Amino acid sequence: MSPLAILMSAFILSIVGLGFFIWSQRAHLTDPSTEGSEVIFAAGEIGTPEEPAAPLATRPAAGADDAELAARARADASTAPLVFFFYCCAFVWLLVASAAGLTASIKLHAPDWLTADAWLSFGRIRTVHLNAVAYGWAPMAGLGTALFVIPRLLKTELVGGRYALLGAALWNAALIAGLGSLAYGVSDGLEWLEIPWQIDLLFVAGGALIGLPLILTLRRRQVAHLYVSVWYMGCALFWFPVLFLVANVPGLHHGIEQATMNWWFGHNVLGLFYTPLALASIYYFLPKVIGRPIQSYNLSLLGFWGLAFFYGQVGGHHLIGGPVPGWMVTLSIVQSMMMILPVAAFTANQHLTLKGNLAALRHSPTLRFMCLGGLMYTASSVQGSFEALRSMNAVTHFTHYTVAHAHLGLYGFVSLVFFGAMYFVIPRITGRDWPWPRMISAHFWLASIGVAIYFVSLTIGGWLQGRAMLDESRGFMESVLLTLPYLKARSVGGAMMALGHVIFAAHFIRLLTARGASRRAQPASPFATAAEGI
Amino acid sequence: MNTPDVLPQQRRENPDPQERSTPMPRLVLLLALVLVAFGIDYISHADVNSPSAWGDARTRAELVGDRPAAGQGVDGAAIYAAMCSGCHQASGQGLPGVFPPLAGSEWVVGKASTAAAIVLHGVSGPIEVKGQPFNGTMPAFAASLGDAEIAAVLSHVRSQWGNSAAPIPAELVANTRSLHADRSTPFNGGDELAQLP
Repeated sequence: MSPLAILMSAFILSIVGLGFFIWSQRAHLTDPSTEGSEVIFAAGEIGTPEEPAAPLATRPAAGADDAELAARARADASTAPLVFFFYCCAFVWLLVASAAGLTASIKLHAPDWLTADAWLSFGRIRTVHLNAVAYGWAPMAGLGTALFVIPRLLKTELVGGRYALLGAALWNAALIAGLGSLAYGVSDGLEWLEIPWQIDLLFVAGGALIGLPLILTLRRRQVAHLYVSVWYMGCALFWFPVLFLVANVPGLHHGIEQATMNWWFGHNVLGLFYTPLALASIYYFLPKVIGRPIQSYNLSLLGFWGLAFFYGQVGGHHLIGGPVPGWMVTLSIVQSMMMILPVAAFTANQHLTLKGNLAALRHSPTLRFMCLGGLMYTASSVQGSFEALRSMNAVTHFTHYTVAHAHLGLYGFVSLVFFGAMYFVIPRITGRDWPWPRMISAHFWLASIGVAIYFVSLTIGGWLQGRAMLDESRGFMESVLLTLPYLKARSVGGAMMALGHVIFAAHFIRLLTARGASRRAQPASPFATAAEGI
Repeated sequence: MNTPDVLPQQRRENPDPQERSTPMPRLVLLLALVLVAFGIDYISHADVNSPSAWGDARTRAELVGDRPAAGQGVDGAAIYAAMCSGCHQASGQGLPGVFPPLAGSEWVVGKASTAAAIVLHGVSGPIEVKGQPFNGTMPAFAASLGDAEIAAVLSHVRSQWGNSAAPIPAELVANTRSLHADRSTPFNGGDELAQLP
């Protein structure tokens, strides 16, 4: 059989298999009595949209009975100290990553700035930025949110929270050591896998300890039906250790295989770790805030299994043009395009759920972050699918266009969603409300306008750069120089994002230090009601 | 475990979310069909039989390019940058005391057959260039460069950095190659080179 016939039959068979699998899940799990989906609800609970503008005293409790409230309080009490620790770490790494990223950005158009210290050179500070985001901010915020949401959805207390606390301590120790070694100039030399493998052992141990409570808690669950957020979060906690362990075994991968593995990991860590954590957050917080059920279980199934099936094979599109087997690149391009399907399923599901409830956007910062983040998921995913096509990749590969795309995904989507989740969760784990709702607005607008400037300028600059590099009649330096104004605009956007993060962190510190900030002791102020939706 | 106090934040929120079993929109099913059709079409047009060492989706014609007739149009400057400039430097000045200069070198602008012989078989041992003694090793290129390429790179260095000797044709390199066909070691310094016919 020719490679083409094997490739074609494998593709068709796997698609048929996936379709059959989703159908069987659907047929098996959905009981005609709909008991499955009701089991997470106490009797008489029907979601009604909140009336956030009403004064607190006159507002009815949102339809939850005492048993439901007690279960909620118990779940939160079991996770609060743990989630608080994760979030504190997330804040620190967010600020570190912002500072490193902004420094790297400025250096690209002001190369003579801060040249005295080796650790501040572009090659190191950019790597510190990437790793502080990839192993600091995003996992700490995402895993913290997962640990908060999972016990709530399983209607039980978190079991084995101490393991997760120890795991988080190991993880952060590893990250401190890792960033230190990168700044010192010791690196494994593979993008996304720069931290030396000796330190990676600590990440593996820490990650396993963080994942352990999930398994223990799942065994103690009080619900028969697992809500869609649990699928995503559970799988993220399972997928990441597999990816990270395989990618970091020393001496196993060489040459072309190493490059293939590198982008298998680099792309999957986005799609099978950060993305599911953020999607799970949207699936939980969006219907939570608007008080409506998710539109379609069928779409949830398609979105989840489509992501799980297609995503693992798309990393090869980073090697288009490289000396790798043609079937591998072709398959990765096709599966990149197939990713449009789960993305469309997710988008349709959220859109149909949100339809008619957009008014809640005015009141709820959480919902605002979630909605914008969800839109950016759709945008970055569809853009990524088309970027994988050879014709487009020929222009955009090795340009700033790719950098813009990466930030649309990891900032516009993942980070905005985590911001929204943290605005919702922190009042529940501290018992204090956000003191200055206007700072939430400031954060939202700085982050969203900042990333818009960032994305638009680098996308244009990267495209022009790619066209210039393909043009034989123009020198290479021309393709470098023409990006200068766009790189400066990127620094402006990046500075706005960083300022938003400083405001976010300052607001958090204010929440912790404010005396009498507990809602119980406070009369409802006009500002406080504006933040009711969180 | 005792139930902890319910916080006002916990009390005011909506119940945990659930899912409805609304059927999948037809548009999504249509999209699935379109994407599968695209996948089948894309794979059926894919070039998966080329050796992977050529690079993804590259054809032989693309890699060979429109190579000019032998000797004509081989880029001597590119060969110099790739094979020579590591030692003799882009400026052709070499490194004083270590690598001899090519700019103004009597060996470069001198007898064409001797220059070709140096590139073909290399030099090992003491040699004097522009009045300065050197004692190093230059590798042989007979195996890695063709006659046209050696001719091009020699013509290039003979016309750069103030040198203005005549270009060297590929035939001359070919003649020199056959003259020393049974040589397997580098020339033994400037003394042996000076005695070449």
